[in-house]
Formats: sequence, C-alpha cells, structure tokens
Amino acid sequence: MKPELSRRSVFKTLFTGILAAGVLVPVRKAKSVVRNLLVSSSAPAGYDPTKHKWLMVLDIDRCIGCGLCAEACKTENNVPRGPTFFRTWIERYVIKKPIPGSGAIRGETIVDSPNGGINGFPPSLVPREEILKSFYVPKLCNLCEHSPCVQACPVGATFDTPDGAVLVDPNYCVGCGFCVQACPYGCRFLNPETKTAEKCSLCYHRITRGLQPACVEVCPGQARIFGDLKNPIKNDPLQAFLEKNRLQSLKPYLGTDPRVVYANMDKEVR
Amino acid sequence: MIVLLIFAIVGGYRIARHFLTPESFGDYGWYRGAALGEIASRKPVYGGKKACDECHSELLQKVAAAEHKSISCESCHGASQAHADNPDILPVKLTDSLCLRCHEANPSRPAWLQQIVVGDHYHAKTGGQHCTDCHLPHQPNEAPEEPSKTKETKPS
Repeated sequence: MKPELSRRSVFKTLFTGILAAGVLVPVRKAKSVVRNLLVSSSAPAGYDPTKHKWLMVLDIDRCIGCGLCAEACKTENNVPRGPTFFRTWIERYVIKKPIPGSGAIRGETIVDSPNGGINGFPPSLVPREEILKSFYVPKLCNLCEHSPCVQACPVGATFDTPDGAVLVDPNYCVGCGFCVQACPYGCRFLNPETKTAEKCSLCYHRITRGLQPACVEVCPGQARIFGDLKNPIKNDPLQAFLEKNRLQSLKPYLGTDPRVVYANMDKEVR
Repeated sequence: MIVLLIFAIVGGYRIARHFLTPESFGDYGWYRGAALGEIASRKPVYGGKKACDECHSELLQKVAAAEHKSISCESCHGASQAHADNPDILPVKLTDSLCLRCHEANPSRPAWLQQIVVGDHYHAKTGGQHCTDCHLPHQPNEAPEEPSKTKETKPS
C-alpha cells in the first residue's frame, strides 16, 4: 500500500515540528541561565579558560634529580603514596660507553626511576667508568594538542580544555582504563581509592588562582618553567627561555603535539 | 506517514538527548564545561612565595640576594598553606638530609651544581656536626656568627 501524502498530513507534521521546536527553545534558554549560575559559583572568580594558554618547559640541564617535584605533586594533589602512582616523576638516564670496536655512537641506555625519584636515587648499578653520560629527566603529562587519551575515552570524561590542560572529570570517568593504555607517555593511572583515571591536571586549581603548579613552585633548579603564552607577564621567564633555547618534544613522530616541551634533550630520551 | 515517522524519531531523539546530556555539556567542547570549575575549586596545599612574603619579607630579601635565590621557601620548608592560614601550625623541622637531597655528589647531576661527597667533606669527617654549623641555609656562602651548639637539630 502506498502511503498517502495529502496536503493535510504534510501541514500536520510541519506544524508539530515547529511546535516542538517552539517548546524546546525556551526550555533550553532556562537551562543555560541555571547552568551559568552553577558554573560561575564553582570556578574561581574571573578565570576564563579561553583567555589563557599554558606551557611548561623542562630544562634537562637544570634538573638535579632531588625529587622535590614528585613529592610536592603527591602532597598537593593527594596522590596515593604507592610506587606506581605518579602525576609527575623523575627518570634517571644512564648512557653507557659504546663497546670498543663496535662502531656504535653510544652504548646501551639504562633508565630507572625508583619510587619516582622521591627518595632520591641510589648509586647506579653501572660502574662509573662505564658511564658515558647520565642525567635526570622530569616527566609528566605532555598535555598533547591531539591527545590519544581523549580520543580513547568512551564516555567523554577526559578532554582538552581551551587553556591547554588535559583534564579528567572524576564524576564521569567509569574507570575502564582505555586512556591509561592509550597514553604513549605512560602518564596516567587508575586511582585505587576513587577507581577513576588520574593524571597531571597542571595543578588546575592553582593556575586558575594565579599560582604556579606545585612542581614548578618547589623546583630548586628552575628546571621547570611555566607560563601563560596569551598573557606574558613583565620579564616573563618563559618568554626569555623560549628566545634562548632550542626545544624538542617527546615522541614527535606520534603527532600528539605536546604542550610540555624539553630543552637540552638527548636523542635517547623517550 | 514516513515523514511523520521521521519527525517522531528525530523529535524523540532531540528530546531524549536534551534530558540525558549533562548540563553545561558543550560549553567549551565535547565535554561537561562545569567540570573545569569543579576541578579548579580544590584548595591549594602549597601557598606559594607570595603568601610567605606577607609575613617573612625580610627573609625573602635575604634569600633573593644569595646563592639560593632561585629556590622557593616551600622547597625546603614544605607545604605551607596551612601555616599561612593559621600561623600556629608550624612547618616541619629541617634536617641535614634535606641539604644532601640536592648537594650529595652524584654522577647524574649536572656540573653547575655544588656537590659534596659526605665522607670527604671537611667537618663531616670529624663527625657529629651539621650542615648548618658552617652554612646558613638562607645565605649558603656565609657562616653563622657563632657556632650553633645550642641549636637543637636532630641528626638524620
């Protein structure tokens, strides 16, 4: 049977559609008013995420491996004390001398991070005369512009904010762990208490109040330089640093375009 | 009929979506905009240099003139927002291990950093002395006026 398309039925449907739209519009407006009230009451006053763009630079030459950043991060963000839960940590790279006659540029690279470097580093197992080069590398969420973790999240609980942070919404995270697997930098973990994914939030509660992230605050060697690219302050250390140094990012071949960049990095760092 | 059905499906979807998506979804992107405010509403634990400057500006000026100028107060004294809110809560006492945390010799440390091998260090050899007997932490190149024998610092 052929459905009849009479003039009446067409008008009827059109009319219903317009009516439905007419009802939805004021409802949505009322909702947005309520929503704006709610948002402004919980966020620090006067902070507009679209008017900032944060950047962190890590100067490997300045890192002394004291572990204060990793410890401050745990204190500031109430991260579980276990040895596998870190929002930021320090890795020790030990590059051995090449085997004589092998023709290699450098020898084997050994990386370790006992308890994230919080308790300091015990003497390396590599004898000192075999070490070609050794240095510390602070690690944290790379705050990718194109974040693999955001793409992997099935519930939209993790996201890129307009100011350059990548955050996890603990109320929407279901703790599936896809993002933990997706992160190529190993920066995420599942919090055993809340059962949700956790990662460096760039100390979002601090930067929105005009403070520096806890790790930047306590770093004694100025290895971490943090600043706002959209609102440079007077004599901005970040701008001065960007002018003077050559920057690199971790795993650039992945196309993640990190907002955490490194200066004076060796090719072995990954 | 088909048109009506399509309208019903689309309308039903729109209405269901309207009630099922969280408020503030889509404010900044494909996520709940209110989450930003919720995450930002947490209280800081580290107060920052500015908070210290309110009462201890004299000490801050001392530090700013000496070798340790790049170091924030809370690097050594620990998280101090609680102390800033209530001065009766004192920061933890510091020990020699804190100095050594940065200054102990280590082949991985950069060459610009002053490093000591504890066993070879002048006074540590004789034993029973502390870093602060010879070095002022706020002005590391200066020695204290009188040996701080009376000062109660626990060896670590």
